[in-house]
Amino acid sequence: MARHALRRVLLAIAQLTLLSVLVFLLTSLLPGDAADVLFNDKTGTEQIARLRHEMGLDQPPAQRFLDWAKDLLTGDAGTSLTGGQPVSGIVAHSVGATALLAGVTAVIAVPVALVLGLVTGCRAGGRLDRTVTAVTLALGSVPDFVLSLALVAVFALKLGWLPSTWIGATTGDLLTRPGLLVLPVAVLLARTVSQLIRQFRAGTLGALNSGYAQQARRLGVPRTRLLLRHVLPNAAVPGVQQLARTGDALLGGVLVVEAVFAVPGAATALIEAVRSRDVPTVQALTLLLAAAALFLNVAADLVSHRLSPRVEVLR
Amino acid sequence: MTRPLIEVRRLTAHAADGTALVRGVDLRMEAGRVTALVGPSGSGKTTTALALLGEAGAGVRLSGHVRVGETEVVGAHGITAHAAGVRGGTVAYLPQHPGNALNPARRIGAVLTELAALHAPSGGGRNASRALSRAALEQAQLPPERPVLRRFPHQFSGGQQQRVALAEVLACGPRALVLDEPGTGLDTVTRAALTRELARLARSGPAILLLSHDHAMVRALADDTVVLEAGRVTARGTPEAVLPAAPAPVTVRESGEDPDGGAKEHPEDSGEERPDGTPLLQARSLFAWHRRRGHNVLHDVSLRLRAGECVGVAGPSGSGKTTLARCLAGLHERLGGDLLLDGAPLPALVHRDREQKRRVQYVWQDVHDSFDPRRTVIDQVARTAVRLRGRTVDQAREEAGALLCEFGVPPRTAARPPGALSGGELQRAAFARAALARPDVLVCDEITSALDAETAERVLTHVEHLRTTRTAVLWISHDLRLMRRVADRLLVLDGGGLAEAGACARVLARPRSEATRRLLDAEERGQRRRTALPAEAGPHPMG
Amino acid sequence: MSEHTAQPPPAQPAAPGSGRRAWTAGKKGTGGVVTTVAAAVLFAVPVLTALFGPLLAPLAEASGPGAPYALDGRHPLGTDGLGRDVLALLLRGGGSTLGSALGAVALAYLVGGAVGLAAAVSRHRWVDEMLMRPVEVVLPIPSLLVISLVGVGRHGNAWAVTMAVALVNTPVAARLVRAAALRAAAGPVAEAMRMQGESRLRVQLGYVGGSVLPVVAADVGTRVTGAVFTVAAANFLGLGMEPTAPDWGVTIAASREALLVQPWSVCAPAAMLLMFTVGLNLLGDRVLDRRDQLPPRGHRDRRARDRWTRVRRARVLPGARKEGRA
Repeated sequence: MARHALRRVLLAIAQLTLLSVLVFLLTSLLPGDAADVLFNDKTGTEQIARLRHEMGLDQPPAQRFLDWAKDLLTGDAGTSLTGGQPVSGIVAHSVGATALLAGVTAVIAVPVALVLGLVTGCRAGGRLDRTVTAVTLALGSVPDFVLSLALVAVFALKLGWLPSTWIGATTGDLLTRPGLLVLPVAVLLARTVSQLIRQFRAGTLGALNSGYAQQARRLGVPRTRLLLRHVLPNAAVPGVQQLARTGDALLGGVLVVEAVFAVPGAATALIEAVRSRDVPTVQALTLLLAAAALFLNVAADLVSHRLSPRVEVLR
Repeated sequence: MTRPLIEVRRLTAHAADGTALVRGVDLRMEAGRVTALVGPSGSGKTTTALALLGEAGAGVRLSGHVRVGETEVVGAHGITAHAAGVRGGTVAYLPQHPGNALNPARRIGAVLTELAALHAPSGGGRNASRALSRAALEQAQLPPERPVLRRFPHQFSGGQQQRVALAEVLACGPRALVLDEPGTGLDTVTRAALTRELARLARSGPAILLLSHDHAMVRALADDTVVLEAGRVTARGTPEAVLPAAPAPVTVRESGEDPDGGAKEHPEDSGEERPDGTPLLQARSLFAWHRRRGHNVLHDVSLRLRAGECVGVAGPSGSGKTTLARCLAGLHERLGGDLLLDGAPLPALVHRDREQKRRVQYVWQDVHDSFDPRRTVIDQVARTAVRLRGRTVDQAREEAGALLCEFGVPPRTAARPPGALSGGELQRAAFARAALARPDVLVCDEITSALDAETAERVLTHVEHLRTTRTAVLWISHDLRLMRRVADRLLVLDGGGLAEAGACARVLARPRSEATRRLLDAEERGQRRRTALPAEAGPHPMG
Repeated sequence: MSEHTAQPPPAQPAAPGSGRRAWTAGKKGTGGVVTTVAAAVLFAVPVLTALFGPLLAPLAEASGPGAPYALDGRHPLGTDGLGRDVLALLLRGGGSTLGSALGAVALAYLVGGAVGLAAAVSRHRWVDEMLMRPVEVVLPIPSLLVISLVGVGRHGNAWAVTMAVALVNTPVAARLVRAAALRAAAGPVAEAMRMQGESRLRVQLGYVGGSVLPVVAADVGTRVTGAVFTVAAANFLGLGMEPTAPDWGVTIAASREALLVQPWSVCAPAAMLLMFTVGLNLLGDRVLDRRDQLPPRGHRDRRARDRWTRVRRARVLPGARKEGRA
């Protein structure tokens, strides 16, 4: 276990390193660099050249990457090209709301999906199972942004029960006004939960049909105990592995949700930065979000390894 | 006579479509006695055995009377509500494939303790359960130590997994045990050890129901034997009264005379060499490894195979038998040493030309996995003649059809995809697929291990027929009885090396290596009656 | 344990008794046919719109531009914020989203499939490593991040979005194909075919490729849905196409503040997207349903069940076969 964990973490570090190279390559080496952004066509080429030199843009790419990475490691993510404030400030300011959204979603999604997956798996083909499966299938077919708009239209605009936007709210307000969280979290839950339920349900079915569950039954293990101690650890495996892949869906959802509800989070900041070609901010935020997804991946991997030590040599 | 622990009267079982699976079986089991339930597959053994637990397959209806201890498990109207109470604590079932029966996500110690606590008569707390679980482990011949208790099932070998499953069963403290084909898939040495342990277990008190088609094991363990055929009891009594007589060859070893007399010691008599003395297929000091050179699974093995000769390869599992076969077939590519066909180097399969491929053919052990599920069997068999002998598709199909028919696979069966064929039919088809190449060397890797006696016999007939056409056969098996029949010479492998080689009869009569002796001992133990082993025979009421 | 690192198995479709099964389990017979037809219709409407819509769009535009968010008789579905006819936008806007998504998935499977197949059938371990190691690294990167990165440089370019989505899906496709192909290529069937003297091409394309196809077919549905989501979301967020482009995602984003004033401008393109994904999911379900059966029940069929378990286990441990068999 320890060896596996160590190897997994080492791989994650390698992944992160490669990821930073990728981020740098995709942003810095594209035609039109920061100097072009700062100045418009009227600025003299000489001025731009001087600026390039000041910003170190005339250095060879490898050198620039090393400088950037070194700064990043010391906590200096550069200066925003649009606002002039340090990027680390933008990141620190925006990350709280995003973390809160994702955290609340995860805290609700995992237990709900686990319970529903287990129950529907135990009663496969029953009425509850058919309902849940139909609902998850339907929810899984609705794009996040369509769902967001539908929920806003019904609950915020028509019924007026819940706020439709966070404009004016700060991260601190969230704890005092939980109503703000309801709609965004509902959207995020829709896709994650339906994906997770499917996997937990499939895992439960597989475990219930397995030889060891049959043998435990034959050795007189009572039903509840069988479910909790013999079936559950195995049933959770595909779900936890799905959790590792959920990073993508969750992050995509966060981007959409933040945009629709005007949440002052990392995703909003990222989209804003992409629109204004604020390269250092984009670099820092993508790296941060990708690292978060990577972290989720590693954590889910380690948990599933602990749950089922046999599943080991997978790619 | 005292009231038996388990009593089964007029038990019947019907499948959902109304087919009768069991038609009125009577059975009595007493503490300390082993009852064997013998019969071909599909005879209703497992259905009967599971009825003791109050369990039936999907859609199967039970009726009759099954009493376990004081509990009525099956009544006239099927399984009773009390049935759940006997599972584990009173009757415990050891399944055929213990590997599947162990929970991969849990340490064995935790499961053992849980089961012990569940069935402990008056609780007694955690420490008592721990002690019980350790005792169960010890009874199953595993060291009851913490590192063992902390392991997961996949960290045990196949033979050990069987013991872990047995320990789980014993941790429940059952009064009766149902053993479903114990030892399936184990090699003879491990199987013999298991038989010894089960004999010891039987003397310790519980009533045992043994389901087996292995007559040797039944002879060694059972007090009473019940023969089932098509759901009916056709015979009952002591094993020697009911089962066909044990094969004789074991006595050869004690007889003291030298059966091979010298004639067989001269290999020339059993095969033909080319005039210049070159054997048909020769391996010189073969090494093979899996992942890293140096970690050899086969070291320094040499063998010579002459036309028309059959060379047997025996050894316990893991001794490198299959690797050797795969090396010769060209399927195992990580090897050193020389492989010569008619004196010319024989490369790995990918580098063999058509003629070389044709001349050396290999028959797989697991036939189900060696046929493409999407094409018909006849098509797949016929391809050999198309590719290796340049026949047209029609000619090839005709030849393949004729050969399959000769092997007892009728054309209509052969025209189906492999999933629709039985294991025996598929095994013969696999054999036909190789034989259609008219090979000079045929490598058969444990091809009879999954077959019942009758089908195995048919396959053997074909092997012998092939040899008359001067095909050399390399016969891999751990079944020494078959080996005596087919092999002229025998190689015994142990731990990847050659332990012994010589004329088959000589090696088996006067073994020179420890490995051969172990194989023979294992076989012998399996065949002799339990009472014939004074060291192990316990006192039991009826002789 | 090999030096491979743990990664989630690529086998969404291989999950035992896949969660979708029960959905249709109770509706065999005529109900099954109805579902299939409904799914096909749902799927066909957006696809046909995307294909032939641009040809019909001039008819809808004939009445000329109207007032912003107008709902009058001249425009069947009203107008958007710029006074453009929503029906015309609908007819023109399918190609970019569906085209990008389908193109991306096709590209991903072309490249990823080739890499995965090559890695699986390669006889050298280092080739396998060389091909698959980079794949592991790229795997956990969320797709919208890649789009953001690409979007910084090439704004408003449908190609950039397509490439980004393809890039994200390629490793997944490679892994899926490799796992399925490895099982086939290292298995006894492939060996038996080589023993029979079959050509490499026939073994690898005929048999190995044939074994991979059902796995791919089962995966394509989910992958296209995902790609449509991503492309539409990217366009919705303004990371993809220009804010005035006639695209379903863009149209939804541009008109969303008028959701209650002129619901058609949002609902019509949203409905198109929904029909596509729901139809595709249902169709995919039908395919899986036929393929993915529960294990044979009852102890009488034990051998069949054991085989089933073995096959399942092989699916869980795709790497297991690669090592030699002792």
